[in-house]
Amino acid sequence: MTSPTPRAQPRARYIVAALVCIGAVIAVVILAFALSGNVVYFRTVSEATQARDDDGRFRIAGAVVPGSVKTTDEGVAFEVTDGQETLSVIHKGDTPQLFEDGAPVVCEGKWGRGDAFASDRIMIKHGEDYTPPKVNAGERGA
Amino acid sequence: MKAQLGVLALAIGIGGAAVGMWLLGLGLLRKDESLLRSGRRCVYLVLGAALLAVGAMEWALVSHDFSLRYVAENNARSTPLLFTVTGLWAALEGSILMWALILGGYLAFMAYRFRERVADPMVAWALIVALSVALFFFIFMAFAANPFELVSGVIPADGRGPNPLLQNHPLMAFHPPMLYLGYVGMTVPFSFAMAALITGRFSEGWLEDTRRATLTAWGFLTVGIILGAWWSYEVLGWGGYWAWDPVENASLLPWLTATAFIHSVLVQERRGMLRVWNLSLVIATFCLTILGTFLTRSGIINSVHSFTQSGIGPWLLGYLVIVAIVGIGLIAWRADELHSTGQIDSAVSGEAAFLANNLLFAGLAFVVLLGTVFPLVAEAVRGSRLTVGEPYFDRMTSPLGLALLFLMAVAPALPWQGTTGDVLGRRLLIPAYSGVAVMIATLIFLTRDLLTALAFGLAVFALLGIVREVSHAVSQRRRVDEVGRTRALVRTVRGNPRRYGGLVVHVGVVLIALALASAGAFGTKQEVRLKEGESVEVGGYQLKFIGTRTTTTAQKITVSADLDIHRDGRSLGTYAPSISTFPNSNMGIGTPSVRTGLLEDLYLTLISSPTERGRVTISVSVHAMTLWLWIGGLVMALGTAIALLPSLRRRTNRSDPSVYEGDAEPIVEVTG
Repeated sequence: MTSPTPRAQPRARYIVAALVCIGAVIAVVILAFALSGNVVYFRTVSEATQARDDDGRFRIAGAVVPGSVKTTDEGVAFEVTDGQETLSVIHKGDTPQLFEDGAPVVCEGKWGRGDAFASDRIMIKHGEDYTPPKVNAGERGA
Repeated sequence: MKAQLGVLALAIGIGGAAVGMWLLGLGLLRKDESLLRSGRRCVYLVLGAALLAVGAMEWALVSHDFSLRYVAENNARSTPLLFTVTGLWAALEGSILMWALILGGYLAFMAYRFRERVADPMVAWALIVALSVALFFFIFMAFAANPFELVSGVIPADGRGPNPLLQNHPLMAFHPPMLYLGYVGMTVPFSFAMAALITGRFSEGWLEDTRRATLTAWGFLTVGIILGAWWSYEVLGWGGYWAWDPVENASLLPWLTATAFIHSVLVQERRGMLRVWNLSLVIATFCLTILGTFLTRSGIINSVHSFTQSGIGPWLLGYLVIVAIVGIGLIAWRADELHSTGQIDSAVSGEAAFLANNLLFAGLAFVVLLGTVFPLVAEAVRGSRLTVGEPYFDRMTSPLGLALLFLMAVAPALPWQGTTGDVLGRRLLIPAYSGVAVMIATLIFLTRDLLTALAFGLAVFALLGIVREVSHAVSQRRRVDEVGRTRALVRTVRGNPRRYGGLVVHVGVVLIALALASAGAFGTKQEVRLKEGESVEVGGYQLKFIGTRTTTTAQKITVSADLDIHRDGRSLGTYAPSISTFPNSNMGIGTPSVRTGLLEDLYLTLISSPTERGRVTISVSVHAMTLWLWIGGLVMALGTAIALLPSLRRRTNRSDPSVYEGDAEPIVEVTG
């Protein structure tokens, strides 16, 4: 019930303020590390092929080239295109629902050996609009 | 006709809000009560305008009036009635209309609730602020997101219909309205907080006035978020319910700050502390609801939920900036008058626990906010598009979540202004030891994952603590009143509904924590390819593929795969995951089939429509304890409802701050 003596109050305040500052600094450092470790860049197929020397993880957005999907021991191999460039993807793991020819996909992974992109996660990109642009690579003669 | 009616309604809304603000302002200036009373009545005009506008829109939807662009884009003749009606919130313009209606409802509630006190500057200013929010949304509709815009050119014979994802499950009828009831409800405490700042009356009165409205909005927001997770689980078919999608985060952010507020508000009521902090939380919560709308509806972040893109971004962002600047400016202006009347005396007291709770919730909100807006900032500053991966959110939020769980176990046992170790021990030792025992048992028998074991242990700790609190209070009541157990329980709860409602909410949180921790640690997932008549075993379930079926309706064509499920030789029935195609979209929509169980769910999705004859790919996964997530949500809603009950408490011990919320327990603890 008794309030602390007036003299103790400012000192307690300084200690609290110092603790808060130290805590905030630690929190910011932890956050910065966590953030920088988990940022995944997002590229179109064309942007990705121009940045081949990047050895970090990133995501590629494109459409599955019709007829290119082959089942492998560990998953699937297929090609994605953004209408300009085409890229081979070797995927380890399951494929998502509705992964099929022409599906708009986002693959996450990094450059593997050779020219292929080594993906370990595929997401189907539901279009915001009602008719996602269907990329027909066959017509390009790719 | 309907369009004209709608536009007229918007005009009435704008006029009503503007005139109301003007009358109230003038009334305050001249201290004229009749002006204030007329100004108050304008609130009902705003509600009427919103009702009229929504009525016009629903009329247009149900009568398939495709001369309205909104109807043509979000409705088709083949759309079932339910999804025709829910078309109101299938896209931006209609959602804002619903927002306006709900806001009108809350405004009318405010005007009615405080009808006797309209001469009170606090109430008048709160109404002015709330009307200004309504004014913004009506102007926003009239000039930037007009739901009553006509189609340009020929009126189409049929509309496009709602986005397939929005017409695939009846949950669509409940999730958005609940969320909006939560979002918009935060306008009430915001209005009172601004009024307190403007009038300079910082006594705890405005808290009392707005607490129930805040709690109601918070309850709706909770239910809305849980329903959203459920919708994601039942409709999207990826097997999860939370993906740290920006739009999910947008609903979580105001929930986090509002949760912080409904805790810290107790400290201010009791001890007059944390005034600046509480005002900031209320203003931040309101800002975050606007930010949420901005993120969700401007299409700024590409995600599953961003169904619409239009030029509304600058409007919402501009409004957000104005609100933030005015709010911060007012707090800065009044900073000198916002002194605390009390202070924290002990590190093991109720107020210290609430302070820690608030720091953790604020930390959580900051972590989620940073992860959500970082991609936007990075794109704006450096031009590179990126996403923040789920591991960031998982890793950063789980320790904070566990700390909150710990606090939830300990804090309800802490009286105001500190306590002795003796009392604490008596209250907490048995629950704490049980928690440790459960944690060790989990590590030995169930999983090596330390975080999961910790979560289980803390959950049991918290749960037993609550059980002890309640049973202690009930047996107290039995002894004093000499009544039976049930009646004593009812009397205990009715005596302090806020405290016991809060504890029930905590039980819901414990259940959700158990579900989340289990989801991370247990379960299997496998993809299987089956021919007709073939069987496979996954996670103890035998699946036999019977064949595929195609059902065609005007709305959609559905291909389903029938699977007979057995477990331990017992038949569990036939389950049929499916893929539907809608005429307005060239992409199919999968619908999972879920066998819900108390301990685990069997979750089946059809990966792709069968291409080779009779052979399908099915994704089979087993999720642990998912049901408890929904039950937890229900319990939280129940607890909120209890907390909103009027208190029958005798107010005699209110003046004694050492007694936590009229709980007679400490006295007995010391003597017994």
